[in-house]
Amino acid sequence: MVLAFQRGVAMPESFDALAVDLARFQVKTVPGYARLCAARSVDPARLVRAGDAPAVPTDAFKLSRVFAFDAADAAVTFRTSGTTLGARGMHLMRDVGTYDAAALAFGRAMLAGGLPAPVPVVVIGPSAEEAPDSSLVHMCTLFARALAPGSLDQPRCFVRGGSLDLDGLRARLASLAPAAPAVVLATSFALVHLLDALGGERLSMPAGSRVMQTGGFKGRSREVAADELRHDVALAFGVPERSVVAEYGMTELSSQFWEATLVDERARHGVYVAPPWARVVAVDPETLAPVPDGAIGIARIEDLANVDSAFAVLTEDRSRIVTGGFELLGRSPGAPPRGCSIALDEMLSSAEGPP
Amino acid sequence: MSRSVEVRMADVRRLLECASIVFAGRAGIAPAIAAASGLTAEGVELGFASLEREVSDADLRAFVAAAGDAERVHVVLSANVFVAPLRAMAFARAAAGRVTVRPSPRDPALTRALVRAAVAAGDDALTLVDERDVSSIETGEVHVYGRDATIAALRARVHPHVVVRGHGSGMGLAIVSPGAQMAAAADALALDIVAFDQRGCLSPRVAIVVGPTPRAEAFAEALHASLCVLGTRIPRGRLFADERADACRWRETLAFAGRLWEAGDHAVAFAPEGSPLPIAPVGRHVTVVPVASRDAVVAALAPVARFVVAVGTDDLGGLEGMTPAHARRSLLGAMQRPPLDGPVDRRSA
Repeated sequence: MVLAFQRGVAMPESFDALAVDLARFQVKTVPGYARLCAARSVDPARLVRAGDAPAVPTDAFKLSRVFAFDAADAAVTFRTSGTTLGARGMHLMRDVGTYDAAALAFGRAMLAGGLPAPVPVVVIGPSAEEAPDSSLVHMCTLFARALAPGSLDQPRCFVRGGSLDLDGLRARLASLAPAAPAVVLATSFALVHLLDALGGERLSMPAGSRVMQTGGFKGRSREVAADELRHDVALAFGVPERSVVAEYGMTELSSQFWEATLVDERARHGVYVAPPWARVVAVDPETLAPVPDGAIGIARIEDLANVDSAFAVLTEDRSRIVTGGFELLGRSPGAPPRGCSIALDEMLSSAEGPP
Repeated sequence: MSRSVEVRMADVRRLLECASIVFAGRAGIAPAIAAASGLTAEGVELGFASLEREVSDADLRAFVAAAGDAERVHVVLSANVFVAPLRAMAFARAAAGRVTVRPSPRDPALTRALVRAAVAAGDDALTLVDERDVSSIETGEVHVYGRDATIAALRARVHPHVVVRGHGSGMGLAIVSPGAQMAAAADALALDIVAFDQRGCLSPRVAIVVGPTPRAEAFAEALHASLCVLGTRIPRGRLFADERADACRWRETLAFAGRLWEAGDHAVAFAPEGSPLPIAPVGRHVTVVPVASRDAVVAALAPVARFVVAVGTDDLGGLEGMTPAHARRSLLGAMQRPPLDGPVDRRSA
């Protein structure tokens, strides 16, 4: 499907056919998925549509094995950043080839489409050496290697030891050729720290440059509304707001979702687009049945690149299907306490708060 | 101390007598409590069994000592099980000769009934207030019951010299010893789970079974059977939509990670050994976790220890050194009836 996407040709198989094949494979190879299907009386042999197969909650990645192979064969282990009561979610992969191909194909199209190669990449985040278990850092490194293969001797990561290297960033941006648009990859909280450090200073970027922002704040910086952050980032880097695009990904997934403002003039910020090999369905949090378009549910993500783990993942993110994609509306807050019994969310936010 | 210990003890005893009067007439307020709490009529009746009406001298002395001394106490009630206002008011009454109480806006019935009974009994020290602007309080103490965020917000608004005693939310857990008799322990634990539909800070949401994995799995099955039986006698009340959503997510997670026994009004999950404690949501849900040894119990509890208010067990002697020092300890089946010797939650500031 990735190749078909890159070549702009029709998909070789339907989404549902591939999803059903994956579900059957994962029932055979992931014991937890077999248990979940059995608990929900789902017979893999009778599956017809992706939506008929149960989704694996992200919490399961913290409690249990969610991979279809021997752990000793894992080539990489990505871990979630937050610890939930002492546990980090783990996504093991025995081969990152599928992840890399999917991430790069869609990321290149949504962020770097139309830019002349090579495209210099600047990462406002740690290097893979500093954060070897971060899927986001892996993706950023992948983009840097693929988009600017000849510039690996240039420093490209500007968070070191948890601190922003502003002088290094300024020097790197100053070294960019004016005729070679670059891309900046950054987390939302790193951008807030950058803006705070800049204090209104404008950075100089080649015309046509673009900025990717991803993730929430996770207590690592002050929180800034999406519109405000995008506006301030655009000003700081001297790029149009439509050139600041958000990406949505998760450790538990192999595919990412992007705002389409760079590739679709009708697209608006806040609406994410899925690649052809992934699908987001807003489901009722009580019944897990799809809700009508426009209604708020939680995001069930069907990701055909999650070959060796869980092709369907139940997130905690509230979402809404809209024209052109889906919106993200923040994490589901969980039930507030109606007695003095502590709410799960209160426990988690207490455990995950800033140090 | 402006009032003697004996006077304070007498004031608390008078309030407990009022509680007995309210208890005797509970049929009059039970429907309102059921409507507000979501409990069934049977669930409300079970909850009333936890309303303190008697206390030993020794416990009462400890209670009065814990309460300290204040010129006035302003009690602010929010998220609590419906019987909790009595202990909150008694604690304030032990501390001060003048007490104002702001009931939970959502569930004020018992608080109002207790204050009415106290006034009728000639105790004019208790006053009901419907609203409480804490920033206007200039003296005494504020006792606030609710979420940690609620307490923090209130703390930020009071005068600097006003003492705030916050009573936050928490959870209970059960530890089943290697020597436990399975069916009896399961029956007793089921009672603790069913009370208040598990919305109390004493309510157990995880059961640690010390010993081999098959034993824990057998206990989970026994607990499911006990909850089935108890559920026919005391049906679960309604869960709110967000509680049902939490429960759905927990069930899907544990169906994947372990094993699940589900019934119409409860679910028991078995989590694999070595996994972090998967805390069950409220509403008669409990996760059973096998833990191999006492040391492993300590390690498993470490990430959640600060949230643990109560520990129930079949072997009180065996808990020594295994559970957080602040946690109340009781036999299974008695977790919801702690002695009146201080606040329910001993972590309270």
